[in-house]
Amino acid sequence: MTGFPSTARSSPNGRADQVQIRQAVDPERAAQLFRQVVLPHLGDGLALARWLAGNASDAEDIMQDACLRALRAIDGYRGGNARAWLLVIVRNTAFNWLARQRSSTLVMVGDLADVDDAASEASATDTTLRSTPESELIRRADQQAVAEAIAALSLPMREVVVLRDINDFSYKEIADMLDLPIGTVMSRLSRGRQQLAALLVRAEP
Amino acid sequence: MTPISQDDRIALNALIDGQLSPSEAAALEARIAAEAALAAARNEIAATRTALRNLPRPAVSPRFLEAIDALAEPAKPAVVPQPPRRNAWFEGWQNIAAAVVITAFLASGATYWLSAPRPATLEELIADGHHRSLLAATPVDVQSSDRHTVKPWLDARLGISPPAPDLAPTGYPLVGGRVEVLGGQAVPALVYRHNEHTISLVARPSAAAATAPRAFASGGYNMLEWIANGFAFTVVSDLEPSELAAFVDNYRAAAS
Repeated sequence: MTGFPSTARSSPNGRADQVQIRQAVDPERAAQLFRQVVLPHLGDGLALARWLAGNASDAEDIMQDACLRALRAIDGYRGGNARAWLLVIVRNTAFNWLARQRSSTLVMVGDLADVDDAASEASATDTTLRSTPESELIRRADQQAVAEAIAALSLPMREVVVLRDINDFSYKEIADMLDLPIGTVMSRLSRGRQQLAALLVRAEP
Repeated sequence: MTPISQDDRIALNALIDGQLSPSEAAALEARIAAEAALAAARNEIAATRTALRNLPRPAVSPRFLEAIDALAEPAKPAVVPQPPRRNAWFEGWQNIAAAVVITAFLASGATYWLSAPRPATLEELIADGHHRSLLAATPVDVQSSDRHTVKPWLDARLGISPPAPDLAPTGYPLVGGRVEVLGGQAVPALVYRHNEHTISLVARPSAAAATAPRAFASGGYNMLEWIANGFAFTVVSDLEPSELAAFVDNYRAAAS
């Protein structure tokens, strides 16, 4: 799952670039920028949308909506990590979409302390003695079980886990994208993976 | 095995993700070698990470890539394939109607095309036009049950107009007319009513041979289309198919 196009991260973002970008008012320049910034990362965006939304059929709708927003906001792209810039839009679009589609069942982010408590409890009860190592049980889990386990995560944990393990962003990138302290990212990732592990072990017949 | 602390668990995650400095990593590796609980947790985290990374990635289909690429093209609606022109006079009235085309296109067409993943069929455009007209304040641009008002109004704007009989005696009163824009072409549409239901009848110029009405559905509406008297007619409504077919029979009888 590594080997994403590294152009976004390695491209120089000199001052001249940024000046040009700010002047991107004419549609032709906007279209050109859109193609450079958005099109290379459609697969990444689809993957994020798919795992945040919980099903593949909505991913394209979310992604298309996100691309429209990206096009409208392309003037605001200041150079830099294009993949991160786009995927923040995808993430926000997916959250809006989730709120709209499933307002009745959506677990709101709310008090994150609750989320963390729940994670601690899960770990306390699930770390029990077993004859087969947990890691072996997790390895046997099929994709269906993994998908269900991701869907069972709370949104704050799900997004960090997906950005890390599906989209392969670094801790620092995730912290910047979600505007969180890096310690929070690390904590949510740790707890998210721990919950996933517990769910996968439990799913084992 | 004894549960490990959350701090240790976070450090293990960071180790596996390659986010620890070499000295931090070495210190943690040494502890893992000495503590079975840490080693078990490390294996569990690594297995979870692998399970996530082995998930299939959604493919970007060529159709999807094309649709997204088209979003960036402000001129895209203009290059959507248009039905072939029938003859020269058609081009003439099209020029006359340019203002109507541009206004109506900006008002209704642009946002539709932006979100459309592919060029819509003519039938879908007609169904959408009908749908839009129902959402508007009034489904007609000119309101009159008098065909002597509706026909000249359409003639003045488009240079053509289909027969516009008032079918009130058979239960389908003429409400009025409007201009419909289909793939860049402005065409006349008549509006009839049956009980509480609105019927849009779109008439595109056609030199093709006459055909019998054919029923189908698009966009949740029932539709019928046929060719007669130099027009390709399409009716669209939320009426039952049988009632819509009865309307078409009435219209055809009155128009011939």
